[in-house]
Amino acid sequence: MAQSLASECTPLKKEYDSCFNAWFEGYLEPAVSASSSPEKYSKYSQRKAEEFQQKCGSVWKEYKACVQKALKEKGLDAMLQQSREENPLSRPPPLPPSSNSSS
Amino acid sequence: MHFVNQSHNYDHPWSHVVIGMWHKYPNPKCTHVVSIDVLDRSVDPKTGIIRTERVLGCKQKAPTWIVKLFGGSEDAFVREISFIDHRTQVATITSENLSLSQFATCLEQIRYSPSSTPGRTVFSQTAEIQARMALWRSAADGLEKWMAQRFEQNAQLGKMAFTDVLRRLWEERERMQVAA
Repeated sequence: MAQSLASECTPLKKEYDSCFNAWFEGYLEPAVSASSSPEKYSKYSQRKAEEFQQKCGSVWKEYKACVQKALKEKGLDAMLQQSREENPLSRPPPLPPSSNSSS
Repeated sequence: MHFVNQSHNYDHPWSHVVIGMWHKYPNPKCTHVVSIDVLDRSVDPKTGIIRTERVLGCKQKAPTWIVKLFGGSEDAFVREISFIDHRTQVATITSENLSLSQFATCLEQIRYSPSSTPGRTVFSQTAEIQARMALWRSAADGLEKWMAQRFEQNAQLGKMAFTDVLRRLWEERERMQVAA
């Protein structure tokens, strides 16, 4: 796993990454069958979102606080703010016209 | 503006590729990526789409002329937003440079989706690299204005200076003639 931009945050970052990866692999596996009906899928998503919060929520809070402080110290917060304003990317981008999966 | 457009097939199913996404770094083949941090992550309770915002720290030796001109350093940062939609089996990753972004932007988009051949995944990548022409133009305008002002000031001073020289020279001669 890669380091954090601030060495003091690396242990928390690694703990958080491990937590997410474990949850994510579990999320992908049985969801294949859950994709059958939209209602069922929505229920599954909600349950998994709650589970993620329950499992990784506390380490995330600690890690986030650490990295936010480091971003400010490195002067990256202003650059990030500008980037977010110009390009919020709050939704998945539309498909580029050239990349239909024809192969 | 420069465009990059390419695609590739991975011999792994989509789920393996999106799990692998989070294990890509550190990588001995991409030693320029030195740090990765998650800044935000959400799981949409309705759609199940996972959105992640990360910042990647890179060490990249820029050509000296770029460093001199723009004051860039070895440390560069990239903001990356990914969406993983398990239901439609589409993952998109958009990245843009934070460093030097006042001069030029590099916007990259990656997409992973299942191939029509089972067990394979299509990767497609597009990138747009663009210098901020508006900024270049305003900087150039500013430079022109400054040079024009300096020119006018100097021309004015030059005129006054020469006037002094002429007056001193000829007044002197006149005085000498009168004295003679």
